[in-house]
Amino acid sequence: MKKLNYILALVLFTGTYAMAQKPVPAPPQSKPIAITGGTAHIGNGQIIENALITFDKGKLTNVVDGSTAKIDLSGYEVINASGKHIYPGFILPNSQVGLEEVSSVRAMSDSNEEGDMNPNVRSVISYNADSEFPPTFRFNGVLLAETTPTGGTISGTSSLMEMEGWNWEDALHTEDIGVHMNWPAISKRQFSFATFSFTESPNKEYDNEVTNLEHFFMDAVAYGNQANKEVNLKMAAMQGLFDGTKTLFIHTNNPKEIVIAIRTAQKYGVKRITLIAAEGALMVADFLKENKIPVILPATHNLPPRTDDEVDLPYKLPHLLTQAGIMVSLSEDGSLHGSRNLGFFAGTAVAYGMGKEDALKTITSNTAKALGVDARVGTLETGKDATLFVSEGDALDYRTNVLSHAFIRGKNITLPGNQQELYERYSKKYGQK
Amino acid sequence: MLLVTGWGAWAQETFPRNDVKDNRAGQYAFTNATIVVDPQTTLQNATLLIKGNKVEQVGSNLSVPKGYATIDLKGKYIYPSLIDMFSNYGLPDVERPSGNRFSGPEQTQSKTKGAYNANQAVRAHYNAADEFTIDTKAAEELRKSGFGAVLTTKFDGLARGTSAFVSLNEKNDNTALIKQKAAAQFSFSKGSSTQTYPVSLMGFIAVLRQTQMDADWFGSQNPRPFADNSLEAWIQNQRLPQVFEANSWANILRADKLGDEFGVQYIIKGGGDEYQRINEVKAANASLIVPINFPDAYDVEDPFDAQKVSLEEMKHWELAPANLAALEKNGINFSITASGLKKASDFLPNMRKAIANGLTEATALKALTTTPAQLLKIDDQVGSLKKGMLANFIITSGKLFDDKTVIYQNWIQGDHYAIKPLNVKDHSGNYNLSINGQTYNLEITGDAGSHKAKIKTGDTSLDANATFDNDLITLTFKPEKESKGSIRLSGWSEGNGWKGKGQLIDGTWVSWTGNRTGDIAQSANNAAGDTAKEELGKVIFPFNGHGYPALPATETILIKNATVWTNESDGILQNTDVLLKDGKISKIGKNLSDGGAKVVDGTGKHLTAGIIDEHSHIGAASINDVATNSGMVRIGDVIDSEAINIYRALAGGVVAVQVLHGSANPIGGQSALIKLRWGESPENLKIKGADGFIKFALGENVKRSSNSSSIRYPQTRMGVEQVYVDAFTNALEYEKMWNAYNNLSAKVKPTALKPRRDLADETMLEILRKKRFISCHSYVQSEINMLMKVAEQFDFRVNTFTHILEGYKVADKMAEHGVAASTFADWWNYKWEVRYAIPHNAAIMHRAGVLTAINSDDAEMGRRLNQEAAKSIKYAGMSEEDAWKMVTLNPAKMLHLDDQMGSIKAGKSADVVLWNDHPLSVYAKPLKTIIDGKVYFDVEKDEANNKALDVERARLIQKLKGAKKSGNPTQRGEGRIQLQFHCDDIMGLETEG
Repeated sequence: MKKLNYILALVLFTGTYAMAQKPVPAPPQSKPIAITGGTAHIGNGQIIENALITFDKGKLTNVVDGSTAKIDLSGYEVINASGKHIYPGFILPNSQVGLEEVSSVRAMSDSNEEGDMNPNVRSVISYNADSEFPPTFRFNGVLLAETTPTGGTISGTSSLMEMEGWNWEDALHTEDIGVHMNWPAISKRQFSFATFSFTESPNKEYDNEVTNLEHFFMDAVAYGNQANKEVNLKMAAMQGLFDGTKTLFIHTNNPKEIVIAIRTAQKYGVKRITLIAAEGALMVADFLKENKIPVILPATHNLPPRTDDEVDLPYKLPHLLTQAGIMVSLSEDGSLHGSRNLGFFAGTAVAYGMGKEDALKTITSNTAKALGVDARVGTLETGKDATLFVSEGDALDYRTNVLSHAFIRGKNITLPGNQQELYERYSKKYGQK
Repeated sequence: MLLVTGWGAWAQETFPRNDVKDNRAGQYAFTNATIVVDPQTTLQNATLLIKGNKVEQVGSNLSVPKGYATIDLKGKYIYPSLIDMFSNYGLPDVERPSGNRFSGPEQTQSKTKGAYNANQAVRAHYNAADEFTIDTKAAEELRKSGFGAVLTTKFDGLARGTSAFVSLNEKNDNTALIKQKAAAQFSFSKGSSTQTYPVSLMGFIAVLRQTQMDADWFGSQNPRPFADNSLEAWIQNQRLPQVFEANSWANILRADKLGDEFGVQYIIKGGGDEYQRINEVKAANASLIVPINFPDAYDVEDPFDAQKVSLEEMKHWELAPANLAALEKNGINFSITASGLKKASDFLPNMRKAIANGLTEATALKALTTTPAQLLKIDDQVGSLKKGMLANFIITSGKLFDDKTVIYQNWIQGDHYAIKPLNVKDHSGNYNLSINGQTYNLEITGDAGSHKAKIKTGDTSLDANATFDNDLITLTFKPEKESKGSIRLSGWSEGNGWKGKGQLIDGTWVSWTGNRTGDIAQSANNAAGDTAKEELGKVIFPFNGHGYPALPATETILIKNATVWTNESDGILQNTDVLLKDGKISKIGKNLSDGGAKVVDGTGKHLTAGIIDEHSHIGAASINDVATNSGMVRIGDVIDSEAINIYRALAGGVVAVQVLHGSANPIGGQSALIKLRWGESPENLKIKGADGFIKFALGENVKRSSNSSSIRYPQTRMGVEQVYVDAFTNALEYEKMWNAYNNLSAKVKPTALKPRRDLADETMLEILRKKRFISCHSYVQSEINMLMKVAEQFDFRVNTFTHILEGYKVADKMAEHGVAASTFADWWNYKWEVRYAIPHNAAIMHRAGVLTAINSDDAEMGRRLNQEAAKSIKYAGMSEEDAWKMVTLNPAKMLHLDDQMGSIKAGKSADVVLWNDHPLSVYAKPLKTIIDGKVYFDVEKDEANNKALDVERARLIQKLKGAKKSGNPTQRGEGRIQLQFHCDDIMGLETEG
């Protein structure tokens, strides 16, 4: 471990440090880059030892076994990664990054619009490219994140952002990837002071709420078939769901609601559906498998929902669902500050049953598929975005997740941020450096 | 309800009359009865004489004197009427202010008008007798269940004043009120109080404790220093029986412990769950008042919905009816209350359930008669039927708790209240029904008063309907299956049969008779009632979905060939053996052996000292109270041994935590240091002999930043400092005052005014005298600096800054002050004051010479502290050994426990964890968590227990389904989820440290 510390110190305190608080966005890739000698974790379950990875103009041009490949690297900037590991950028789905900042300050909140049916509100235009969070995400390998509206029944339309950029247009990866929907609750929760606990009772409005929602879909389908129509922003925003250009993200963790919600979406011709649920998904795993519905799990560094649950249920949930034949992705729905730990959620999934490469999929390729962006990101494959990073060791474990390089569409981004700058400043103050 | 008799009007002599005088003697003789004089004495074929409102005589060979009206009770029983000690009969219900949220403007003072106590929830001045008035509807309900008198209390306040003992007569309030001040009443509920403090269980206890002291002080002074009607009454009421509403076994223990501090033995109202900790309840040695409001069965038809019902709820459903039997078996003195029943009419059926589950009838009766009478010291008036006692008794058809027994009459103070007609003839039998030359067989079944009829011709049953009104009968039936109409008969009992008139289908009037031909053949069905007794499930410890039937024992364990993280100068030892013996770490070395030891192969595994969390909120029933100075509030009063997060933390390698008060106030409550001894009682979790600690807090939380309408001082960091300076200044004054008093000569002292004890001042003084140590919630550098300056001004040192997210900015000052730091690994930006938190904070402070730990303040993070420690390696290159000490040895030092915990060293407590992997790796899982040499978590036992509990769950689900099928009422699962606490949680609604 001594050696690693030494490397770490090198990484953190070489030159680049006299910068302002937030790192300056990097310019576009200007010349081809080759990363040689490292272990490439492709993100689809494969590993290439001694890999040769090249990219140019932001796209991967080669991902091959370096011991056999013959590629002329003259004119390349070559990064020797021997002993190191290369990963596709981790993807954080279902996040409020750029919409929320200091969660206790109301003025800094832009994720939850007034109204119940808001497919027309679009997170991308609210995305704060100067948020303090992205530098901390990418420091740990999270290079892409879905910025997602919350609240209401239909919360709005999300986009995939790169964790780098001068403004939201610059940071945008894929615009308007999907519509987020909170299925009405069969039971409502209420808090009792007497017992200091939450209890559930039937939601008397459930049938009405479902009927309203069904009509919203019905009307949206009809709207798509109308020739001469008055423009309706809400109806128009739903159309991508029916032609497969947008994904419907269904949020519910109640097994009965899961089945009804998916059935309903299918009935109205929604082509792409992704479920955001936790242990509730396990109870209807067969149904989800048959219907090929991917599942995004909320934070798995979480407590089991019920006293009786096995203590490690959230930790092993990714493994249990994967075993049941479901494509699983991980997220951190609870807190933005905790989202930089996405890689370690995958690490915990390994401790509780998954293979390392399978666990990696839950934060790379599976997520790309669940978001409908797998043509461009999620794996280290030729033709895809050169959005990747080099880590000194296993990026799913704390001690070895130490990034030396990260690229977003080929841009060589600066890793240290405000926090590293403060570290530097005060270490110097106390003569620790 | 008709009042039939009107003996004497002695109580009404002072009232004006609006009729001629009608004073009767009220002399009755009840003869030939089985008389249960008291639970030990039953007289057969006996006579009870009453005169007016009193029992005149009772005996087997009594002749009825002249002038007595005789009521023949052959075959019937007389019991003393029942007593309920926990009721608010005849008193208004109490409206509680909605919620208890801390979100509006705080109410710092009591709103009770007049010279009453400073706290609105102290209502010792209240007397139920002043407000009591008869409630005829409620009285009738209670009488139907056999009750004749109740102790009635207004359920309002922590100190509720006095309750009154009243009978259930409907005559007038003046006679119903038997004893005005029958008992003093207390509870853990604020009732109608709108004052903000206290909001928590520990605050309730703190108020009761301080008020008891205030009363002692107040009472010792003549003249009084000021008027306080509540304290005055409190003092007066001390001679009465003291009743405490606790409502659960855990609160029984808390109430009893509070009483012990002042030499008060409360009579404690429990919750019907005492069987779950019967040994501890027994050890409390309190008389109890126990409800029989057994839960309804849960509807578990739908397997998804059934998930919402916890094992705890299912087991309680099964075991609650056996609670009273457990109390009896353990020799615990108790009375029974109907309080909490959904319907008053559930009382006798539930008593029968309790008896079916092992409660003896004699004890049941005692708990409803002599026990309450003795506890209330009125056994010379009620509870048994002896000369001179109140004529409160019931007349029943048989033994009171038999399934079929009915209560005919309930006599109260010599007045007769009818419930069912006393003499109802039993008509059951076969009759030969003869109508207009046709004969049918009439079969009358069922008990007297609830008969049913069937009519047959030959073997064919006819469509018949019958109603009975004592000796009258109405019968309609179709003479043939295909008949278009019915024969309609009306008749009366005559000799051994029936006679009457009726109309045939065509309207023809006819006479009819029914001659009795014999008894109904006894069906064999009766035997079905006593099917083989089912085994009940076992009580598990704790009583929840991860409880075990037995607690672990201290073992001698030899861990062989492990990688041992000593946290001592030896560093990390490879291939090393560790022997745990007698609860201690006995030896560390190579090739150790011990004949009696259980050998654990540690090859490829890591053995470490157990994790200690300096900042936790698991294992307490409440976290925050809200007084600016809450130094008198104690987490130790509300340890919750059943909290599932204790087990979850154990499974994460945690052996001990400091359960801290929250951060709602500059001076928070006293914390408790506990070891995670899963399954033990609350008291047994505490670390004996540990130093006392207290929570302080700075910044946004204490200035109530999340509440824009807050008016509580302080609202700024300037005010926060003044709170401290004020509190410590006052404490010094307090000390001076006591010193002056204590130094008075023996001559002067008895006549001098004794100073008042103030528990908040005493706590501050403990800090100044280095007997209690501060753990202070803190974020920004200005406030960190401030508290150190305040401490230095008062010549002591802050023990620990907890959270301390900007500690890196003043690490040099902290090192100089000598304060320790317990911080988050990487939390930041969830509120304004943590905007500049950095994940390198721990490393910078550590390198600056500050004793540094990583804490959780969160039940989830608290079970992954090994991972949190690893973050300092990732972000700041801290050495692995130093990182590991941040969650073991360093917190042990901060909590002054390092002489016994925190490292693997011979002689220290055997509080260790065996890991499957490098403990700082994300891939590491604890295999065993050992405390005091006892294996409290074992990954294999956990798995086996999960399976066993699944089996238990499946058994209970089938039993619940059976209960539903046989017509029992059911309830749906509520999916109850206990709140997880954080620092900010007032009533638990706000989140994050």
